[in-house]
Amino acid sequence: MGRYIIRRLLQAIPLLFLLTIFMYTLLHLMPGGPTGVLLNPRLSAAGRAALIASFGLNDPVWLQYLKWLGRMFMGDFGSSFATYQPVSQILALRFPLTLELFGWALLLALIVAIALGVLSAVRHRTVVDYTLTTLSYFGLSMPIFLFGLLAQDILGVQLKLLPTSGTSTPGLVFDPFNAFFDHFLHLLMPMMVLSITFIAGWSRYMRSSMLDVVKQDYMRTARAKGVSTLRALVFHALRNALIPLITVVALDFGAVAGGATITEGVFNWPGMGSLFIDSLEGRDYPVLMAILVLGAIFVIAFNLIADILYAVMDPRIRYS
Amino acid sequence: MDLSQSLGAADIPVEELEPFLAETAELTQKRRSQGRIIFDRFMKHRAAVISALFLIVLFLFCFLGPLFWKYNPDLIPDDVVTSRFTAPNIVHPFGTDWVGRDELARAISGGRVSLLVAVASMFGALVFGIGIGSFAGFYGGIVDNLLMRFTDVFLSVPLYLLLFVLSSTFTDGSLLSVVILIAIFGWTTAARLVRGEFLAHRDREYVLAARTIGAKNLSLMFRHILPNAAGPIIVNATLLVGANIILEAVMSYFGFGIKAPNPSWGNMVADGQGYFDRAPWLVFVPALLIFFTVLSFNLVGDGLRDALDPYMTER
Repeated sequence: MGRYIIRRLLQAIPLLFLLTIFMYTLLHLMPGGPTGVLLNPRLSAAGRAALIASFGLNDPVWLQYLKWLGRMFMGDFGSSFATYQPVSQILALRFPLTLELFGWALLLALIVAIALGVLSAVRHRTVVDYTLTTLSYFGLSMPIFLFGLLAQDILGVQLKLLPTSGTSTPGLVFDPFNAFFDHFLHLLMPMMVLSITFIAGWSRYMRSSMLDVVKQDYMRTARAKGVSTLRALVFHALRNALIPLITVVALDFGAVAGGATITEGVFNWPGMGSLFIDSLEGRDYPVLMAILVLGAIFVIAFNLIADILYAVMDPRIRYS
Repeated sequence: MDLSQSLGAADIPVEELEPFLAETAELTQKRRSQGRIIFDRFMKHRAAVISALFLIVLFLFCFLGPLFWKYNPDLIPDDVVTSRFTAPNIVHPFGTDWVGRDELARAISGGRVSLLVAVASMFGALVFGIGIGSFAGFYGGIVDNLLMRFTDVFLSVPLYLLLFVLSSTFTDGSLLSVVILIAIFGWTTAARLVRGEFLAHRDREYVLAARTIGAKNLSLMFRHILPNAAGPIIVNATLLVGANIILEAVMSYFGFGIKAPNPSWGNMVADGQGYFDRAPWLVFVPALLIFFTVLSFNLVGDGLRDALDPYMTER
């Protein structure tokens, strides 16, 4: 197992390396370029040249890449072209917000998906099962931004229950409890919308793995020994049925550093996803590269974690 | 009757023979071709059949609709101010939009674009995915390693980030550019799937047999193995069309998809969003079309999976 992890980690290095080259090239192929977007048109020629030089945009692209790579190894992602803030500072501001949104959405989705999956499996081929199956198909077939729009309209505009965008009410008199509560209200809608797709997908996994487990011999043994149905389900079946789900959840969580782009866009949630979209419009290479690298590291890491968890949870699985 | 008489068993009543005959009729099954078996199995999945019918109607609606629905989807009427935001009525079943264009005509031509983009990019992704996946799976070793690392590069960037970078790099909002972009997206899953199938098939006896009688590698790959791996690929292709429709909608939502003057369901939702409180049908019409189309493709994919994969236990 140890050797397997080390080998996977070693494999990730050339992969990341290739990826940075690939992404750097792609970004520089984007039409427009940062100079077209960022520079004040009334800037003098000398000022313009000085600014371009300060961004390091005079060098040939391969040299820019090497310089960027060198700095990145030192842990320096450079400064944003748009705001001159160090990229690490910007990310430190944005990443927690995405993590918050993602974390809560995933937790909510996990609880609901497990409950629905188990319910669906236990009530196999009944009205409950068919209803839940239909609903999950609905959830998977609906673009997430439509859920967002509908939620905003119904919960926000019509019923005026929840705020529709941002992270806090502007001009709110500050006191810690109010601020916390206000933030929580803002989080609620994007969190629910984001969790819907996860719920729709995961509850299917949960249902089918639960169905597999319930048919196993040891379940019959447990029942024969006199374990109650509920107890057998919760303590004997659930544990094993969770294995496939955990892998999927780990894989989905890997997307966290890229942000929940669509949800963040719809609800104006200033996380990594909206940062990426904004930076893309501004051709802000340092910020874009940082998000891409971070995103890729998370995806690769959580792929590995998913594989490891798989082996840990199920001793029959061995990696060579 | 002749036979029983000659055997001296004329007193056996005919009624007694019938249950016996009925039983044999049940036991002897009609000879069915493989295609027929798959078709019969598909027909048992009721939701999939309904979805397939819906999709046929939808394709007819989008591609033959203009023959029957004479409104020009691009025509802005002269009386824009009075005729815009008309709620759905008999003249305009889906209402009119913010410049008075007929929403039904736009839904028809937008659907044509959306379906065309989704199906064309599915084929693009499939061709590319089968190309990469089959070579990786068939040759294995270093070829496999190189090709799969190449695939990993695509898979290790969060989906939408890559989508947005690629779309702002390569698309100009034209149909072809969006098709290519979405195809770039779908091929990774197809490649992995095809590779897996090829790995599983390449050591089978029938491949060895074909090789023994002198089949070349390319013919082994595409004439022998590929048809045997077709089931999962077809299922994947169906699901991919649904996913592509959603991708196109998401791209349009963020302003990267098909651009005006071409309507697509995706950009119709994105444009209609601004008038949501005034004319909600401008969002609901394309949104519901997207929803039902994707749902149908998913259900048909599900039905095909049941029909094409006899090892799948029915659930």
